[in-house]
Amino acid sequence: MVAVGLPERAATRRPPARRGRRAAGRVLPLVPAFGLLALFFVGPILWCVYASFTDIALTGAGASSPHLVGLRNYRQMFSDPAFAKSLWLTIVFVFGSAVVGQNVGGLALALLMNGRRRIVRSVVGGIVVGAWVLPELVAGFMWYAFLSDHGTFNALLHAVGLHGKSWLYTSPLLAVTITNVWRGTAFSMLVYSAALSNVPDELLQAAAVDGASAWQRLRHITLPLIRRAMLTNLMTITLQTLAVFTLIFVMTGGGPGTKSQTLPIFMYQEAFKFYHLGYGAALAIVLLGVGALFSLVYLRAMRKEV
Amino acid sequence: MTVASPTAPRRRTAAVAAYAVLVLVGLAFLAPFAWLFLASLSKDAQLNTSIPDHPTLRNFADVLTGDNLHALANSLVLSMGSALLTLLLGAPAAYPLSRYGRRFGRPVLLGLLFATGLPVTAIMVPVYGLFVQLELLDSVPATVLFLTATGLPMAIWMLKNFMDEVPISLEEAAWVDGASGLRALRRIVLPLMVPGTTVVFTFTFALTWGNFFVPFILLIDPGKQPASVAIYQYFGIQGGNTSYGLLAAFSILYSLPVVLLYAVAQRTLGNAFALQGAVKG
Amino acid sequence: MRRKSAFAVTTVMVAAALSACGGSSSDGKTIKVAYQKFGNFIGADELFKKIKPVFEQQNPGYKLKLIPIEADENSYYTKLNLMRRSPNTAPDVAYEDTFFVNSDAQARFLMPLDDNLKSWPDWSQFVDNAKVAGQAADGHTYGIPMGTDTRGLWYNKQIFAKAGLPANWQPKTWNDVLAAARQIKAKVPGVIPLNVYAGKGVGEAASMQGFEMLLYGTGDKLYDDQTKKWVAPSKGMGDSFNFLKTVYSSGLGPTPQQTLDPHWSDNVAGQELPKGKLAIDLDGSWLPQAWIPGGASAWPQWSSTLGTAPMPTQNGQAPGKVTMSGGWLLSLGARTKNASAAWKLVQLAMNKENSLFFYVKATQVSVRKDVVDDPKYVEGNPTQKFWTDLVSVTQYRPAYSVYPQISNQLQAATEAVVTGQGSPQSAMNDLAGQIKQIAGPDKVEGKS
Repeated sequence: MVAVGLPERAATRRPPARRGRRAAGRVLPLVPAFGLLALFFVGPILWCVYASFTDIALTGAGASSPHLVGLRNYRQMFSDPAFAKSLWLTIVFVFGSAVVGQNVGGLALALLMNGRRRIVRSVVGGIVVGAWVLPELVAGFMWYAFLSDHGTFNALLHAVGLHGKSWLYTSPLLAVTITNVWRGTAFSMLVYSAALSNVPDELLQAAAVDGASAWQRLRHITLPLIRRAMLTNLMTITLQTLAVFTLIFVMTGGGPGTKSQTLPIFMYQEAFKFYHLGYGAALAIVLLGVGALFSLVYLRAMRKEV
Repeated sequence: MTVASPTAPRRRTAAVAAYAVLVLVGLAFLAPFAWLFLASLSKDAQLNTSIPDHPTLRNFADVLTGDNLHALANSLVLSMGSALLTLLLGAPAAYPLSRYGRRFGRPVLLGLLFATGLPVTAIMVPVYGLFVQLELLDSVPATVLFLTATGLPMAIWMLKNFMDEVPISLEEAAWVDGASGLRALRRIVLPLMVPGTTVVFTFTFALTWGNFFVPFILLIDPGKQPASVAIYQYFGIQGGNTSYGLLAAFSILYSLPVVLLYAVAQRTLGNAFALQGAVKG
Repeated sequence: MRRKSAFAVTTVMVAAALSACGGSSSDGKTIKVAYQKFGNFIGADELFKKIKPVFEQQNPGYKLKLIPIEADENSYYTKLNLMRRSPNTAPDVAYEDTFFVNSDAQARFLMPLDDNLKSWPDWSQFVDNAKVAGQAADGHTYGIPMGTDTRGLWYNKQIFAKAGLPANWQPKTWNDVLAAARQIKAKVPGVIPLNVYAGKGVGEAASMQGFEMLLYGTGDKLYDDQTKKWVAPSKGMGDSFNFLKTVYSSGLGPTPQQTLDPHWSDNVAGQELPKGKLAIDLDGSWLPQAWIPGGASAWPQWSSTLGTAPMPTQNGQAPGKVTMSGGWLLSLGARTKNASAAWKLVQLAMNKENSLFFYVKATQVSVRKDVVDDPKYVEGNPTQKFWTDLVSVTQYRPAYSVYPQISNQLQAATEAVVTGQGSPQSAMNDLAGQIKQIAGPDKVEGKS
């Protein structure tokens, strides 16, 4: 690592620059990156906002002459029970996969590995990270095969005398959640390993000598010290999990029925299967809103703990 | 409440337990890979996992076509290009965010992170329109630019976290000598951040490598399409046409560069957890 | 300075990008043709590669630019329609599913071909039933059918022998089909007696190979061309749902988890049929594509193991058999600057020789009368004549832009029935409600 110990965070002293040039000097390096983001990100997002108030489509009359329809897309969305269900599935999926699975699993792995032999960390860490770098499409197909009726998982269950079942049929949301945990835990593990390396050993040892149990040390020393890492981790994996599409699409196609149809799948169906771009755009805006809500909750919760 | 000092035997028990759990976790993470490897070696692979009677490398020979290698080369250009450009644009942007106070930095950063949550499929329609307007369609460099934009928020944020780790005292000497902030960045901070930049490079590379929709929409000429698009040749359009053995072999071939890059990055960085600095809170 | 170099690189890249693009906008002498290429479905790609040199030789000064789009169906249309939104990128000739003809005509993506057809001698060789596939509701023809596909029953003769059923099985009514399935269930345990697609997992297969193959054999239809209204509910619709319920609730069909698997249609052709685990399959004419040498699941014995029979109408009412057709259209872009050269390309691609080439490569059923008798047409696929003869009674899906949505609801309704979540009656009523919502209440009529 570059630096050890708790880094000096706030930069109190500044590089020399005369007043006028200073502001320019600070802003200029930001221009290329933020210019690119403004052109390719902000512009299209604003277009999406506009499109969500129209009936623009990829084919049919909406393609040749789209009209402004006011709040029609949003009204349709909120009166559609399929949307409500999809929203609920998305929240369950994000909560189960990101907040619980990836977050807690990543923390547990990081704690387990902390201070273990390098060879074990390298091998186990390598496998976990291997799941992360695999292209999403390949990962989805692998898990589809893994959980299929005659797949590896049921064969393993059978070998130990248990009865398998059609996992993708009976518990599709659970299946895609576990797959996403498999795929995403590496990221959280890396975040927490980094944070843990900054928790001074002396503090923990002193607490142990004072008779604090492992759980107490975790609760009262480690967790407060890695609070910031937890916040960033939760925000990032939440936003990434909200956008998961390919994995679910390959494994279940959102089915059976609509049992694993999260918002990105719902949006894809509306925009690219039924060609209702306007409605699809409205769904995308709502998806952004859900992400913002999650983020606000985290920011609030973390601030209180200070 | 247990009041026990951490005696040696207890510690050893805990360590053994930890190793046992780690091995189990490793095996559990490994299990889903079984189908991929077995299917790639089987001449009539289906979805069930079975050890092939006559393992063969035929599938690999069959997917090593000129077109596929060309597609992999295209992937390399797109991923390498956007990973490099991401560093080139991201580092200067991250520097002021790291150094000049967190007052304006924090909302900007949160905004950036927030943008990473948007599914890229949602904005491809306006982006296509934009590319038509600017006459950038079917241009590899322009596609690299867009891919860079999709990876930049995460990259800037990671780079900023890395820079936070570099003690500011080192730069102060340079400032005394009259060097500007950016010069300090180039001369002092970046050399200390080699692991960080490697990580961001790897991350952006992997992200781009798996991207199907962006190159698919923005590139017209099939000769420019990357491996993430080429993989579709092994799927069936109507019943019964998915060639699972070839799909598995191609998937391995397709995943290999990213895994290799990670392995190389890991070696340069010294240990399996060098990636961790990138994602610090 | 790093910033400057970053700027420089960006500028250079944008400049390079701009200049690289200058040449690709249509310069008037390039004909662009866009088509789908996916998996081993490469018939169109092979066809256009074959005729590219011929076209360029016959039309000096013109270049033919091939734009194969390698993706699944939804991604293909997404990209094709994005390209068509802008005059610079719109292809001159494009290839699309027959049921998009109305919505794409309405979107003004397509050019009417009525005048061109009058002076094209080959048009008289096209089967009348297929000519309507390219016709929109406004009466104009917007596309030339590039072959079609038909649907019917595949059955395993070895399983039939074990069950004591005839090798030359020709059911006359739905009850005949069910009776055979029951006999197989009783005599040959361990096989699925009858597969009828249902549910959202397999997508359009559930609508077209499954439900519509039943509905259009009852005398009722999904859409009435006379009244220009969707028909729901109807007696035939209820009977079709009841048929599905009978198949799935009495153990004659696959299990619901098999049926609802998104890869089930892959499994049917790739595993269940070749491994002798499925006795009767209501499916498409294209299945041998997977089994021929070089196919994804090569199965040399397929033609001796499997027999074919037309799907009977409900009670054997005339014409006694039912089939549905899909297939592809070749059409001209509404904004093409070279309509006459583009039309020449379509004529070339669809002449007798090239049609035959495409039918064979893409396992399509012929829509040209003069191709059917060519020995090359049936070579290597002894069932080809059977599927071609079905064209005489074929029907197409309602080609309206709301069809994909209605089809989606149809799939959901079949899913409710085969899983037992809803009765046939409630599934039909729900479906009728959904169709009213999608098409508008004034565009729907009930017939029960």
